[in-house]
Amino acid sequence: MTATKSNGGEGQAPPSPSFSDQIHSFFSSVSLTIFLFSFIAVASIFGTLIRQQASPQEYLSVYSESTYAILSFLRLDDIFHSWWFMLVIGLLVVNLVLCTLPRFTRLLKTPPISKVPDRKALDAMGLRFTVQGKKLDDVSGMLRGYKTAHTGEDGRVLERGSFGRYGFYMVHLSIILILVGGLIGLLFGFRGPLILNKGETKNAFMVRGSVMKSQPMSFSLKLNEFTLALYPTGEPKDFASDVEVIEDGKTVLRRTIRVNDPLSYKGIHVYQSSYGSNPRFLFDVGGQKVELGQGSVYKKGNLQLLLVRYEKSVHNFGPGVQVTYLQDGEPQTQWFLRDVPKLRERTVMGTPVRLENIKDEFYTGLEVAYDPGVWVVWTGFALILFGLYVNFFIYHRRLYLVEVPGGVQVAGVAFRNREGFKEEFEKLKGRLGCS
Amino acid sequence: MFLSNKILAIVTFLYLFLFFIHLIYFATKREKVLGFMWISLYTTFGLHTVGLIARWVESYQMSIGRAPLTNFYESLIFYSWCIAFLLIVMKKRLGFPLMTMFASLIALAFMGYASFSPSVDKNIQPLVPALQSNWLHIHVFTCFIAYAAFAASFLAALFSLFNFGKGVVPPKETLEEVNYRSVVVGFPMLSAGILTGAVWAHYAWGSYWSWDPKETWSLITWIFYALFLHARFARGWKGRRIAILSIIGFISVIFTYFGVNFILSGLHSYGSA
Repeated sequence: MTATKSNGGEGQAPPSPSFSDQIHSFFSSVSLTIFLFSFIAVASIFGTLIRQQASPQEYLSVYSESTYAILSFLRLDDIFHSWWFMLVIGLLVVNLVLCTLPRFTRLLKTPPISKVPDRKALDAMGLRFTVQGKKLDDVSGMLRGYKTAHTGEDGRVLERGSFGRYGFYMVHLSIILILVGGLIGLLFGFRGPLILNKGETKNAFMVRGSVMKSQPMSFSLKLNEFTLALYPTGEPKDFASDVEVIEDGKTVLRRTIRVNDPLSYKGIHVYQSSYGSNPRFLFDVGGQKVELGQGSVYKKGNLQLLLVRYEKSVHNFGPGVQVTYLQDGEPQTQWFLRDVPKLRERTVMGTPVRLENIKDEFYTGLEVAYDPGVWVVWTGFALILFGLYVNFFIYHRRLYLVEVPGGVQVAGVAFRNREGFKEEFEKLKGRLGCS
Repeated sequence: MFLSNKILAIVTFLYLFLFFIHLIYFATKREKVLGFMWISLYTTFGLHTVGLIARWVESYQMSIGRAPLTNFYESLIFYSWCIAFLLIVMKKRLGFPLMTMFASLIALAFMGYASFSPSVDKNIQPLVPALQSNWLHIHVFTCFIAYAAFAASFLAALFSLFNFGKGVVPPKETLEEVNYRSVVVGFPMLSAGILTGAVWAHYAWGSYWSWDPKETWSLITWIFYALFLHARFARGWKGRRIAILSIIGFISVIFTYFGVNFILSGLHSYGSA
């Protein structure tokens, strides 16, 4: 708020604030802060009530078509990445800067205290007492923890916790840092899943977003081994991927990625996020061992096998795979069941085909992320905790010492935490023998 | 049934017992009853602590080995413990009969729900890999100390709205001081809880912030208490208005703790089992 003061009595109208002043006072007002914070809170509530980033089909199964049209028009299906949410965050940053900066410059310009308040002001202070028969230096020497801010003919001013005044600025600066760091990550970072089968090497992953697109990496990742340990209950205890980082054809790093223990290389983090398994089928085709995956085709001479479908349990007869093949020009589809001897082996075009075994082969689900803003955010985190501590637990207070006939008068004032200071003041009084 | 479950079931009855002692005190108004109440509260808190440690030890005996802070049952037990802990630590400011009665009533409700509701799983489950981290301890601890501080603020605010007799509740000034001072403790703790959670999420899930319902609601609660502090310190709000703010804030805390688990699903779903 720009305060307008008239010089009084001269009949002159105060100059009306210019347009730019009005704009400035709007963007720096506390009311705007409260509005923006409340707006973020309400938008966040909607964000937890409406499913975010789901597919159109998922929305249409819950909402009517017209409701969904409104939701997607207002970006309520992806609130936290919508332009208006970004706008509000941006406004909050501007508002915090404009609120904080002038106060901070004013604090820096405040001259150090240069005199003791006059008698009247001292007598008005609620907390005061007089030490009988002591000199000013003796009293001030007994007040440990306090620093002398001023000393002169008129008395002495002692100060403590003046650093506490900076907590406010640290907290506000740290919120700006966290928001800016988040914005950097949003604008320049990317993330997405990377699935690797055993032995497979990839140098790109799919970036998650409204459109999935492939993002190349400056290096390749190869999965050597995936390991899974289970609890007796069958729940996963630990899963890990043994990977190699390959750059220019050379292995530069070999490491195991675990949950809670990502790999980081050149700013890119690779996380263990999930796993899954694919069935592998071991066939004996005319005395030859072959290993096939689901959907794959096997060809040998005029023999052709297509593995169509896998079932963990076919009518309670155990696992099996459905195979399509040509028998004398006629297409046929048959189940091969591992645990039923009669249905395990068939003769196709004169060649005996036998399902030897079915085993699960695990693949690893990694998450690749690049976020250049994360260190800015970490700095903000550290600063906000330190700032909150400084702001709430270090408080600025002063003691005024004045020589009076027969002793020294001590008066105290705290600019924050007056209740806490009252207790401290009583203790000081006791220590100086005046309780 | 584990030994720790039995101990904690006894602790639940002790909280009920504490409630009855308060009733006796209000009926007789004898100071001796109050002295006996404090001894009972210390005993209950001691046994409560033993129960938590026993559960910790038992998890090691099952070769699972983790702090008792990982599922809904344990969080309820731990929250009650934090409330009793705060009551004892702040005895000088909070130690008034109506305050201790309501605090033990809240502890009783949570302990009773944890111990006797069939929908709450009391087993010591093994930890899924994402939870196997040292961040777990500091994250849960800071969050629940914050929740307990907000509960103290809520009780103080609630009592300040009504007129009770002298000596039953703290005086109005003390209540107001307890109200905002609890927030002054709770707010940095909640901040620390959210931030340690974010750092942990960065290492476990690959992103420090995913707008998961628990995260989002903790942010809403954080924003609310930030507004509370600004209303108190920047605008000098006092009395009834600040008390109402504190009550609304605690509703947000309760929703962050329970509502998200039961109504909304998300990455924090292990908290509801």
